[in-house]
This record gives sequence, C-alpha cells and structure tokens, in this order.
Amino acid sequence: MFHWLEQRPFFFSVGVFLVIAFAGLIEIVPDFAQASRPVAGTQPYTLLQLAGRHVYIKDSCNACHSQLIRPFKSETDRYGPYSLSGEYAYDRPFLWGSKRTGPDLHRVGEYRTTDWHENHMWEPTSVVPGSIMPAYKHMFTQNADLETAYAEALTVKKVFNVPYDQPGFTKLGSWEEAKKQALEDAKKIAADMKNKDVKEAVERGEIPEIVALIAYLNSLR
Amino acid sequence: MNSNIFQDNINQLALLAAVIIFFLTVFVAGKYIKQMKTDKSTGELADENWDGIGEYKNELPSGWAYTFLGTMIWGLWYWTMGYPVDAYSQIGEYNEEVAAHTAMFESKWADADDQTLQEMGEGIFLVQCAPCHGIAGDGMGGKAADLTVWGSAAGVLATIQNGSKGLGYPMGEMPAGMLSGDAAKKVAEYVANGMKGEMPAEFGVCAGCHGMDGKGMGGMAPDLTKYGSPAFVADVLERGKKGYIGKMVSFKGRLTPIQEKAVGAYILSLSRSE
Repeated sequence: MFHWLEQRPFFFSVGVFLVIAFAGLIEIVPDFAQASRPVAGTQPYTLLQLAGRHVYIKDSCNACHSQLIRPFKSETDRYGPYSLSGEYAYDRPFLWGSKRTGPDLHRVGEYRTTDWHENHMWEPTSVVPGSIMPAYKHMFTQNADLETAYAEALTVKKVFNVPYDQPGFTKLGSWEEAKKQALEDAKKIAADMKNKDVKEAVERGEIPEIVALIAYLNSLR
Repeated sequence: MNSNIFQDNINQLALLAAVIIFFLTVFVAGKYIKQMKTDKSTGELADENWDGIGEYKNELPSGWAYTFLGTMIWGLWYWTMGYPVDAYSQIGEYNEEVAAHTAMFESKWADADDQTLQEMGEGIFLVQCAPCHGIAGDGMGGKAADLTVWGSAAGVLATIQNGSKGLGYPMGEMPAGMLSGDAAKKVAEYVANGMKGEMPAEFGVCAGCHGMDGKGMGGMAPDLTKYGSPAFVADVLERGKKGYIGKMVSFKGRLTPIQEKAVGAYILSLSRSE
C-alpha cells in the first residue's frame, strides 16, 4: 500500500494535507463554534448605535482605543470583567484595536455617562487634565449617516441572519420605522446633554454625530 | 568575585558533560562512517527505483514498530481520557489570582485606621471619581457635585437650594427650594451636625419624606443621620445617581465595602481637613 502511495507523489501530498488539516479542524472548530456564539443578553446594535459605530470607525477611535479586556487582575480592576468572544458576535468588523494610547473602551458604558462624553468630546482636557486626545467638535455639527447604518443592519440581517426583529431582540423594521426609533433614542440622549445646538438639531429631527456616538459608547458594557 | 570559573561546581559538571558529549559524538560518527564504507546490505529490492536509488523490502525494526503502535494507543487514550481539561487554563489562573488578592486585601485592611483609609480612598478617587468630580473634588465648575463642601452645612444648604433626585429611593425627587433664608441655614446646620441638639421647627418640611428622626422612614428616602459619614457615600456609590447635574454610574460590585468606606473617608477629608 505504501509503495503504491510513494509512486503517486501529488496524490500522496494531497492526502497528507487532508489528514493533517482534519486533525487541526477537529481541535479548533468545535470549541470555536461554541465560544463565538453570542453571549446571553448580547443584542444587535440599534440603528442609532450602529450609526455611532460608524462615527467611531470614521474618526479612527480604534487607532488609540482597544475594545478587549484581557483576563488579568490589573485590567479587570480598571475596565471591568474580561471580554468574551461571544460578546463580539454582532460586531462587523470587531474593533479590538491593537494599541492603547487611550484606555480600553469595551465596557465604557458601565462607568461613563452621556454628559461626561459630551464634555470630553468637546474638550478632553476639561475633564481629563492630562489628556492628549484631540477635541472632536465637528461631531456636534455634522449629522450621522443613518442611511448607511440602516443598509448595514439590513444586510447583516438578510445575509448573516443577525436576529433583528426576532422576539427578544433589537427591532429594526422598515426604514421609516427604524428612522423614527432612532430619533426617539436620540431625543433621550439629547435630554441628558447641555449643548444647545445639539438639542435644537435633535428637535428639528436631525441626529448629530455626537448623539449617535454617545448612544454607541453607552451600549458598550 | 570568583576569578576562576572552573571552581564553580555547575561549570565543572557542564565542562565534564561537554567532554563526554564530544567523545561520544566522535565515537558514534566514526562507527557509522566505517559502517557506510564496509557494510554490505542484504535483502530483496523493491520494484521502484528513483534515479538509481532503490529500497529494500525489509520489515520495520521491531523497536520502531512497537514505538509506533504505542504512540497510537497513547494517542487514543489522550484523546478520549487523558486530555488535561481539568489542568491549567488562563481563566483558572486569573480566578486564583483574584481570589488570593481579595483574601489578602480583606485581611490586611480589615481594621484600617482613618488615615490609611483616606490614603487608599485618594488613590481610588483619582482613578474612579476624578474624571467627573475633578482631581480636587470640586466638580470642575459644575460638571459634577462639589465634594469639597459635601458633608458640611454648606453641602446640605446646596442640596436644599438645588434639590436632589435620582438616587432611586421610592420617595422620588426632592424639589429645589423647600426652605430658604435662615430656615434653610438652620436646618443645614442641624443635619450636618448629625441631627443632635434641638430640632429646628422648619425640619418638619424635611420630615415629610425623611421622617422626624431623619432616618428616611425605613428606606423610603435617604437616611439623613448618616449624612456626612462614609456609610452615606457608600450608599451613593452603590446606587448611582441621576441628578440635576448629570448622571453618576453605580459602583456596585466594582468597589469592595472597604474601598467604598475608604472613598467616603477621603471625600470627608476634602471638606473637613481645614
């Protein structure tokens, strides 16, 4: 039998590859499939949160902030419980980051509030005296891109079966319904804010980027 | 310093081993080179032949065969029973580290004195509280509650003037300006001094929610007799607050009772150190 294999080097190579690949797969796949299931209670992002996530990506927050708490006491003391892979189930792409110029943000919703973020994005040194983070004042005037966020939500719902609109999960609905819900969420955030321009914009039915970003940051917990 | 490195017995052993390995290598290599020169192989040649290189149809040496078989049996055992699922895991090490540290922390600071608590509280305050209340605790120009007056008559007066809400007590919010002028000051003094001495008649306004004894009628409203004590701070830390200034998150489960007490001791030192 072995002589027969030795006489067919290409077939033999493919066979060796398959055997080793199979051994690797049965070690990795079952555990991975289990661990990457959504953690109980993990919800797909609402339209407003998703729009805020786009602001986060657009302004490269992930270049300086990670979203991954490692299981070390020094990290869990500061940032909260260590991250689980299932918590990223609805993150496309995940925003783990690779560098902590600023602190980790994976559970920032647990210990910072809307009014704090408002102060911080307007002028970081007003709340963190030594901060080197730049101010993001343009977020108070530019409006969030809800259309793109809705397109993404609808795509992941249809293509990846993200459980939008299923019982017990985030409601998305039609574009009109989703937009109305986003505006309602935005009003709740704006009620906790002090910036007059932002409040007026939300009253007019617009959603400044800062409101969407705060909705996203508050959802990180 | 020992100038002669060969006086160290580890070095002596290493040198001895190096010499032995050298002679073994020479001996083994010499044996096989000689064998390659003189050995004549025997046995039946296999049919295939690669550029003049052939192969004998000899059986596997029995030592190899048994080792190979043994490896397969060990592999089956390891796969089904022997895999060290109960042995090491990163999360297990983390859990042990946290448990050990918590036990050490609890026993070390169980009866810490006030000075120690204040120092511990300062460290926690700078990390957890300063982002909103400021490094000096002054609330950074109205971004959060001014803790440099908290626990004093001025603090109570500010609460009476501005109202208070959002601690999550069943009685709900306390409106601004329940009392004004001298009456407010008198009540503020009375509450800040631990509700000792003669009760001002105006305290009746407060008693509607906090009770005549100020104890909050069994959890309906904040217990004013604890005002200005670390226990009151610990209560706020656990409940969080959504007040008139902004929202404070709850620190429940994030600080230990000792740490909460320490933060309380530090905050009190801010208003009472002068």
